[in-house]
Amino acid sequence: MSREKILHRLRQNSPLPVPPPGQFQENIVLAKEKLVEIFSRSLKQAGGECIELSNADDIYGWLQTHYPGAVDFTRGDAGKTYSAGCAKEKLERLETVVLEGRFGVAENGAVWIDDSCFPHRLIPFIAQRLIIILHKNQLVSDMHEAYNRLDLTGTGFGLFICGPSKTADIEQSLVYGAHGAMEMGVVLVD
Amino acid sequence: MNAHAQMAANFLANRERSDWHDQTLWMVRQKRDRVALSVPEWEQLREQASKIKDNVLSNLENYLLQFEQHALANGVKVHWAVDADELNRIVLKIINDSKAVRVVKSKSMLTEECGLNPFLEKLGIEVVDTDLGERIIQFRNEPPSHIVLPAIHLKKEEIGELFHEKLNTEKGASDPHYLTAAARAHLREKFLSADLAITGVNFAVAETGAVVVCTNEGNADMGVHAAPVQVHCMGIEKIIPSTADLGVFTRLLARNATGQHITTYTSHYLKPKEGGEMHVVITDNGRSERLGNVKYRDSLKCIRCGACMNTCPVYRRSGGYSYRYVIPGPIGSILAPYADIKKYKDLPFASSLCGSCTDVCPVKIDIHQQIYYLRQEITGRSKFPGFKKISLKLAAKIFAAGRWYDLSGKTARWAMKHLSRKIIYHPLNAWGRGRELPEVPERSFKEWYKKNIKS
Repeated sequence: MSREKILHRLRQNSPLPVPPPGQFQENIVLAKEKLVEIFSRSLKQAGGECIELSNADDIYGWLQTHYPGAVDFTRGDAGKTYSAGCAKEKLERLETVVLEGRFGVAENGAVWIDDSCFPHRLIPFIAQRLIIILHKNQLVSDMHEAYNRLDLTGTGFGLFICGPSKTADIEQSLVYGAHGAMEMGVVLVD
Repeated sequence: MNAHAQMAANFLANRERSDWHDQTLWMVRQKRDRVALSVPEWEQLREQASKIKDNVLSNLENYLLQFEQHALANGVKVHWAVDADELNRIVLKIINDSKAVRVVKSKSMLTEECGLNPFLEKLGIEVVDTDLGERIIQFRNEPPSHIVLPAIHLKKEEIGELFHEKLNTEKGASDPHYLTAAARAHLREKFLSADLAITGVNFAVAETGAVVVCTNEGNADMGVHAAPVQVHCMGIEKIIPSTADLGVFTRLLARNATGQHITTYTSHYLKPKEGGEMHVVITDNGRSERLGNVKYRDSLKCIRCGACMNTCPVYRRSGGYSYRYVIPGPIGSILAPYADIKKYKDLPFASSLCGSCTDVCPVKIDIHQQIYYLRQEITGRSKFPGFKKISLKLAAKIFAAGRWYDLSGKTARWAMKHLSRKIIYHPLNAWGRGRELPEVPERSFKEWYKKNIKS
């Protein structure tokens, strides 16, 4: 009933049709070889860390050295241990979590992750520290390019994530770790 | 004195605090400038956003239907609310149907507008606001004073005192890191025990049925993914046609709001979680009516970034509460009178008409122009103070007659110099209230021109 009422009013009060403006025409396209540098700078500006590893095979050794207890969702059976039906209390004890990112955006340092990257949707938020592994060739210039490559069919939930959780609600002082991860890093691999 | 002027005077009585408020918001404005200017195509982005919104407003019915169709196909339950009361009742029904007891909510100006919290609280349902700033003001039983920075009117010492009382933090502690950590622990408990989570909506995409919510804290996601039931409340104007349009708006929103390139989390909710429920409540509450009003229609383009507040010389020096409406500042000054012209008739006058709000608006709403229209409308309704009206009529006659103008100028310059303060600021001088007259020049511009230029 209310649906019809609202739609009826919209029909009555609608302005004359204005056509959509068409795709945004970019005049600036970032150079491919600059993307890593710009992405890294943007992410750091947002409080995140960016680490470059030249050899993808080094990644597990690197993780083992720096975050020995990390729960790695990119391989093994962590996905089974922390499944969609997993108790929240168990998730709350997650310290460092490793996820694979789908692609990154140079202009702002954000990384796209979705349901295919984690078994339970709370994982990227509830863990104290978040590490995302991203392939260097999976970087785009800006949000236009990002959304153009994003296919949301079949996706239930996904997000752009950029840096650790933060707040400035107390006197505009920047504090990391409001509710989500206190630290966030992206490991770029070849 | 009108209500805004009175409350602004109260705000300014504490000079130290009002200076801090002014400077802090100006700092946010400057941060915004730096980051916005780092995007060379910034102006084209604003233009594009404005055009997308023009198209949306001229085609709302179709886009909403498209959105509904896709959301339903995604397994989302879609509700329609004509007004505030209906939104509140729909949310209540979802709470009751799912037997939810503990409810968490992330920021939503719409539910603020509709009074959802007080409605539910009256029925004994506790709603925990989870944005840190909102939790702070909820503890204080206050409304937000800014739409992006809800607790910007408070000092850390006050928050320390509040947390000592509510969260048992150390007495006298006011370090923002320490206080935030205490809130984190307190709110994690709330998230993990919540049965239902409510959020606002930044953008709803017709093409996919996705609702997009942007936060820095991650509170919307902590709530939504921890609770079995998620409810997203959106105004009808939040719709955008396609995923590609998100590229334009996500580039503008955070840069314009806080000077960040993007918010920490830009979450796209499409389908309910395994075994969970997802609801979207599409709310009108007067918007469809405003759509029919050519002059004020554009205010429906607003994406609630708050930049017009940060830049406004009046808002910065009068505080959010002086507007007494859920959305304060310049955009509030055109939204509030639409909700209740009698109650908020003073707000369009709480502006210098400098146009800075229009300059920073990411969707190019002509805010100051609308404020000016509203002034004319309100003055036309003869709610203008009587003496100002008579004085203006008299002034019009004087300005129209050159000699009278010269004479009155001379008289005024003499009078302002020689008469006592008491006489100049007498109660009949409506402009003398709340204003200082400028210093009197020696001679008129005409005299100065004759002497210096003409010869």
